[in-house]
Amino acid sequence: MFFLLNSFNIKSQILKNITSSFQSNSAYYLDDSRTGDFIFDKRFRSNNYLNLKTYTDNNWNFELQIESYLPKALLNYSSNFEEVGISTFNVQYNKKKLNIQLGNFYEQFGSGMILRTWEDKNLGINNSIRGLNIKYRINDQINLTTLFGDQKKGFKYSKGYIIGFDSEFDVSELLKKESTFLLGLSYVGRNDQKTKSIFYKKMSTLFSLRIDYSATYFYSNFEAVNKSTDPVIMFGSVSDTFMKKGSALLFNSGFFKNGLGFDFTFRRLENMSLFSEKESSGNPYNESIVNYLPGLTKQHDYSLTNLYVYAAQPSVSFQSPNITKAGEIGIQTDLYYSIEKETFFGGKHGTNLAINWSLWNNLDGDFDFNNQKYETNLFGFGDKYFTELSFEIRKKWSEKFHNTFLYVNQFYSKKFIVDSTGKVDSNILVLENIFKINNKSLRLEIQHLTTQDDTKNWSAIGLEYNLSSAVSLYISDLYNYQNPDIDEKIHYYNLGGSYSKGINRFTINYGRQRGGLVCTGGICRYVPESTGFSFTVNTSLF
Amino acid sequence: MKLNFIILSTFLLFISINLQSQDKIPNVTLKTLEGKSINSKSTFNKNGLTIYSFWATWCLPCINELDAINRDFKDWQAQTNVELIAVSTDDARTKRRVRPLVNGKKWDFKILTDENQAFKRALNINGIPHTIVTKGSNIIYQKIGYKPGEENDLFEFVLKNSSKSN
Repeated sequence: MFFLLNSFNIKSQILKNITSSFQSNSAYYLDDSRTGDFIFDKRFRSNNYLNLKTYTDNNWNFELQIESYLPKALLNYSSNFEEVGISTFNVQYNKKKLNIQLGNFYEQFGSGMILRTWEDKNLGINNSIRGLNIKYRINDQINLTTLFGDQKKGFKYSKGYIIGFDSEFDVSELLKKESTFLLGLSYVGRNDQKTKSIFYKKMSTLFSLRIDYSATYFYSNFEAVNKSTDPVIMFGSVSDTFMKKGSALLFNSGFFKNGLGFDFTFRRLENMSLFSEKESSGNPYNESIVNYLPGLTKQHDYSLTNLYVYAAQPSVSFQSPNITKAGEIGIQTDLYYSIEKETFFGGKHGTNLAINWSLWNNLDGDFDFNNQKYETNLFGFGDKYFTELSFEIRKKWSEKFHNTFLYVNQFYSKKFIVDSTGKVDSNILVLENIFKINNKSLRLEIQHLTTQDDTKNWSAIGLEYNLSSAVSLYISDLYNYQNPDIDEKIHYYNLGGSYSKGINRFTINYGRQRGGLVCTGGICRYVPESTGFSFTVNTSLF
Repeated sequence: MKLNFIILSTFLLFISINLQSQDKIPNVTLKTLEGKSINSKSTFNKNGLTIYSFWATWCLPCINELDAINRDFKDWQAQTNVELIAVSTDDARTKRRVRPLVNGKKWDFKILTDENQAFKRALNINGIPHTIVTKGSNIIYQKIGYKPGEENDLFEFVLKNSSKSN
């Protein structure tokens, strides 16, 4: 009896400590006289996420996430998201230096080049591992993590398992200075039971070493990865003969002082894509992806700067004798400068400058398309994939008015980035103005992209009006006005609004989406191409 | 499918009757700008209010909000002892911009990084900007998004709830 009462107490205590969040993204797709009819079934589609979790001061906690895709998932989501299912369930045990998670967990080793599991609802990514994750903090200097499990793929799980180990050592004390010095060593093993062959091993192993140094005005870090021999995957099939090792090198360093900041990054990737099931390599939904290799370019906020976006090229890909890739090599530099208030260029309220330059190329080497072979040079730069130079000024003129000016010069190789033909040389200009009147504000965005290539010039305009802290309305248009094909001269118009109060937020949108990063009323998200109405709800149920 | 629906709705009904909102800072590892690990439980102001502002270098409204707060933050602190922790959710793609940006902005508050978004996830935050105010470890205010001028509402809330002003 006592036991029952006791367990009831614990139960009610846990229940009291549950928190929830609910997110719903829905759309009603319409036929479009310009872009075509809606050719799929179910015009109304809805993705819903309910998350419940506890965080008591007890040692035990849990998390449960239920998702529904009814009647169907939004366009551009994997068909593995179907109907209703449990997407995340885990139990955590915390005691002083020990943290154990059983169930679905999210983890990252180093910068994620050999392992990262994470969730991004708007991108349809949830690649959590289901299994056991143990973290042990021996002391302030040594952290250890070990994990084992299979990987989520929609509501299903991969065949095979992932095993990992990470260690991080803080050796700053050896330096006896005001600086931080960290060392990390990690290992990831990927066992793929889905695609088997006598020609290659089920298990692929990756080792990584990282060093992180940080002083008052300076930082520098380095990471090197070695990946065991892995078959090359092309056109969705796993080769029995074309097999290569993989590697990654990352170097980053920067300094900053008195409003001036400089950052430099070098990265080289060779045959580095890693999926829990080899066959999934290169799938458009990023399903079964084990490591995180983002494109290292400036992340833009404006629609025209996101027309030709560079995506990292970590894979070996022999598409034709003219398109033979083994990875990527390149650099990115950033320069930031804040001009002080009350100076000639700074003006009364100060000015911010940001310059970004990035250059990404194929690895240099000898590629033999017919015999499916290649040899690369370690620091050689091959065919150019992408370059971008951008120059941004953010200037506050008065309490009521500030604006941003952005100029971007871009080279984008369609041939190498999307395995098509041609290239795009473009110049983009953006002028964003914000006017503030008491609690209301108005944002006007004007953009233009100039190019003689691809579908030629684009223009864009956007107006957002924030009536109060709760209500926001907007209207925008994107127009490829020089498209040589008259049928493709399309206005991508959108209008909508949002209402937010506390942690509740509702948005509604009507229009024709081109796809890309869209930011309104303070929230940014990626949207797929479509025409119709869309609605989102963010709230907490209790 | 019908069965799933019934189970789901019964479950929801059950919990919505039984539960109250929880409101504590969870136990997660964050990192300082230098890369040192720090437990989230040791980040809040034990005797007063703490503002946690979730942001990223690519999120313009987030930066506008932090800039706006920074303008008057010294006054806020003088009046209320409030602390502000700007939690960067930048991942490997953009985290290198955090330190130069913070330096250029001369922000006068603490910055922590949540690279794989464990803290953001533990707090059930779906998008940024997202602002939380805690009294001790108890969450007493939450807000999604930022529009110019909203920093005044936030300060009013802080002023009303800080013991120093009472």
